[in-house]
Order: sequence, then C-alpha cells, then structure tokens
Amino acid sequence: MTALFTILFYAATAILAVGLAFKVVQYARTPAPLKIPTTPAPVTTGGVVLRMAREVILFESLFKSNKWIWLFGYMFHGALLLAMMRHLRYFTHPVWEWVALVQPFGMYAGFAMLAGLGALWFRRIFVQRIRYISGPSDHLMLILLLGITGSGLAMTYVARTDIVALKQFMLGLIRFDWQPMPSDPILMAHLGMVIALMIIFPFSKLLHAPGLFFSPTRNQVDNAREKRHLAPWAAKLEAGGE
Amino acid sequence: MRILVFILAMMFLPSLAAAQETGGVPSPSITKGKGEQCVADTDYMRRYHMKELSHQRDETMHEGVRTKQFSLKECIACHATTDDSGQPVPINAPGEFCASCHEYTAVKVDCFQCHATKPEQKKQAQASALFPMTALAEPEVSQ
Ligand code: HEC
Ligand code: HEC
Ligand code: HEC
Repeated sequence: MTALFTILFYAATAILAVGLAFKVVQYARTPAPLKIPTTPAPVTTGGVVLRMAREVILFESLFKSNKWIWLFGYMFHGALLLAMMRHLRYFTHPVWEWVALVQPFGMYAGFAMLAGLGALWFRRIFVQRIRYISGPSDHLMLILLLGITGSGLAMTYVARTDIVALKQFMLGLIRFDWQPMPSDPILMAHLGMVIALMIIFPFSKLLHAPGLFFSPTRNQVDNAREKRHLAPWAAKLEAGGE
Repeated sequence: MRILVFILAMMFLPSLAAAQETGGVPSPSITKGKGEQCVADTDYMRRYHMKELSHQRDETMHEGVRTKQFSLKECIACHATTDDSGQPVPINAPGEFCASCHEYTAVKVDCFQCHATKPEQKKQAQASALFPMTALAEPEVSQ
C-alpha cells in the first residue's frame, strides 16, 4: 500500500505541476484580439490589479450575478483555504506558528465546506435551469470534493488515524526518504480521492483558478481611447508581414 | 502568476532547507513509558488518547466516576522522565513525551495550566523537604 501511494503521489504531483504549467502557458499565449473589459472597468493598470484582487478575494463578479451561488461558493472556498492551511502541518517541520494557530478554525472549516458543497450540489439537482446545463463532470466533481471533505471529517470525529505516522509518511515523500503509511481505510480513501483530484485538476473546470487571471474581460485596462489596442499578430499583419 | 509562484516558493523554502539540515525524516522524540505496555493498545493510544482523556474527564467532572485506566495522573506517572540529577522533568516541557508529539503535529493542549506536569509523590516529597511552601504555591491540582 505504501509503495502504491508513494508512486501515485509522485505521479499525481507531476501531472498536476506539468499540466498546470502547460495550461498557464497556453492561456498566456492565447491572443486577445479585442479590447473587451466589462465596463465600468478601471482605466489604469493599478485599477486592474485592484479589480483582480476583488475578484480573487471577494468573488465580485459572482456576487453581482447571483447572491446564493456566491454565498455557498464563498463559504466553500474560504473553508477550503482554511483546511489547506491546516493541512500544512503534515508537510512542514517544524510547523510554523501561524499554522498551529489556525488548527482549531481549520477543524470547523470542514463543516462549512460540507455545507457549501452540499448546497451547490442541491442546486444542480433541484434547480431546473441549472440541472439542464449540468453535465456528469459537474456532478462528479462535487461528489469527489464531498468525498474528500467527508472522509477528512470522519478521521477527526469517527475513526482517527495515526497522525504522527502520517506526517512521517508525508515528510518522507518530500524528502525522498520513504516511510510507511498508516493503513487505515478512511485515510486511504481520503488520500486516494486527493490524488484523483490532483490528476483531474489540469483537465477540468477546476482550471478556473488560474484561468481567472487570464480573462480579458477582467484583466484589461479600459484605455482604448488613449492607446490603440493592437495584438502582436495583428500588428504583424498590419505591417504587411506574413 | 509570478507573485503566486513567489509566495509558494517562500512558503516551501524553509521546509526544504530544514530537510538538508536534518537528513532523514524528523520525528517526535517518544520515550518509552514505564512498564511493559500502555493502558491500552499502543496503536489505539496513538489514535484515541485525546478521546479517552476527555471522556475520562467528563465522567470524573460531571458524574464523579473516578477510574484509573485513562487518568491523566497515571499517564504522567508512567510517561514522565527524570533529568541527570534524578529530578522529574515536566511532561509538557519541549521534547518531553506529551509535548514532542504535539509540537510535531501543531496541537496545543491547555491541560497543564491546571494539571500537574510531574509525577505526584516524588515532587511533593522533594519540594516539601527543600522548600515547604512551593508545593502549595503552585496553582496545580494534583490530578
Ligand atoms: C503503566 C504505565 C503507563 C500508563 C499509566 C500510561 N502509559 Fe502510555 N505507554 C506506556 C508504555 C510502556 C508505552 C510504550 C508501548 C509500546 O512501545 O508499545 C506507552 C505508549 C503510549 C503512547 C504511544 C507512543 C508511541 O510509541 O507512539 C501514547 C500516545 C501513550 N502511551 C499515551 C498515554 C496516555 C495519554 C496515558 C494516560 C491516559 C498513558 N499513556 C498512560 C506506559 C504507560
Ligand atoms: C504519539 C504522539 C502523541 C503523544 C505521545 C501524545 N499525544 Fe496527545 N495528541 C497527539 C495528536 C496527533 C493529537 C491531535 C490529533 C488531531 O489534531 O486531531 C493529540 C491531541 C491531544 C489532545 C486533544 C487536543 C485538542 O485540542 O484536540 C489531548 C488532550 C492530548 N493529546 C493529550 C495528551 C497527553 C496528556 C499526552 C501525554 C501523556 C499526549 N497527548 C501524548 C499525539 C500524541
Ligand atoms: C481549569 C483547570 C483545568 C484545565 C485547563 C483542565 N483540567 Fe482536567 N481537571 C481539572 C480539575 C479541577 C479536575 C478534577 C480533579 C478531581 O476532582 O479529581 C480535573 C479532572 C480531570 C480528569 C479526571 C481525573 C483523572 O485524572 O482521571 C481528567 C482525565 C482530566 N481532567 C483531563 C484533562 C485534560 C485532557 C485537559 C486538557 C485538554 C484538562 N483536563 C484541562 C481542572 C482542569
């Protein structure tokens, strides 16, 4: 089991890193031929940075478009952030003080994640308009995330695992000095689903995370009047090249 | 994106640096307790000692039931160590039994604000022989 999970973890990490890098490069190279920031839009670069920050931190566009999705989506993402911060204790030694301080909050974050995901899934099933546009991957993604959250909570409240041995296993992975993994079924399920998530990430809608930064409607400065927008390839055409 | 990479790098560099210093996987320094085995299976203790302790506490505090198996006093009686001069070391001192594991996994317990951190008899015998007042001065319940 240890060997299997060790190999899977390395493979998943490689796929995640390479896949993401590939996608980010692809996004960065995709031409944005037109000036299409959604107005009212900032007219300076500093303003665009602020707008992006509001998108990332507050999910501004989502808030403007749908309050319910925003509420549950925000709940889920905020809790996810806390839970991930809490999990840093398995990968760092010595554990940083701020990670120790978020531990109690991270524990409750699990429930917030469950509630947020549950509500988002409820909406996909019971709101007719949303159900119509939901594909299998939309449901499966939520099920996977619910599975990870549920198994994590189960390890805190129902069937605990050997946390010290688990951290040794994780540090072993990072330091290429492999250690046995505790063989509790729930832990295996939890880690197995996390590995699946890592592998799926670069091929799925989860790419909205890096993708947000490359959205022309959000990352462009509204300065078409001051400065002519000319994509590099269009400039070449204009100069009579190609 | 660059900022993100930078932040991630800053977060992981310290732990990578630590890796080179120590070599091998860092682990808590778990000293073996007195006697042959713990009050329950070792694997069980590693996973569930916190549940049992709070269960025991609730039984004692709310129902007045005092049993020995998961008594905090007993944990310390078996798991405390002594220093070179034979003095007991507080169980929650850095690197000691309870503390080393908890530091390793970022767990903070507040139990020892009230509960004694050293085995009972020894401490009182020594303390009262040398400084009669210290045994009283310490705001600890000896449970
Ligand atoms: C009779 C003496 C004794 C008492 C009382 C006792 N322990 Fe232990 N404990 C031991 C011994 C001996 C071991 C090592 C067993 C082994 O190596 O398999 C141990 C192991 C442990 C471990 C596992 C350490 C590891 O190797 O990972 C934990 C955790 C633990 N004890 C906690 C407690 C707690 C909490 C209490 C109080 C409820 C307690 N012990 C009471 C003797 C005791
Ligand atoms: C083998 C390592 C290990 C040893 C030794 C150990 N603990 Fe723990 N303890 C843990 C872990 C791991 C957790 C928390 C697990 C988690 O975060 O869910 C914990 C949690 C606790 C908690 C609950 C803390 C909370 O706020 O949830 C208490 C109380 C506790 N331990 C008491 C003790 C006492 C008392 C001793 C010494 C007699 C001791 N432990 C020794 C590993 C250990
Ligand atoms: C505010 C002070 C205080 C704090 C903090 C505290 N306790 Fe206690 N605890 C007491 C008192 C007082 C008793 C009752 C002693 C008695 O009457 O036997 C007690 C009793 C207990 C008992 C039952 C007695 C025994 O040893 O069997 C357990 C177990 C226990 N506490 C565990 C804990 C644990 C674990 C923590 C930390 C998570 C903790 N306590 C934190 C004050 C405290």
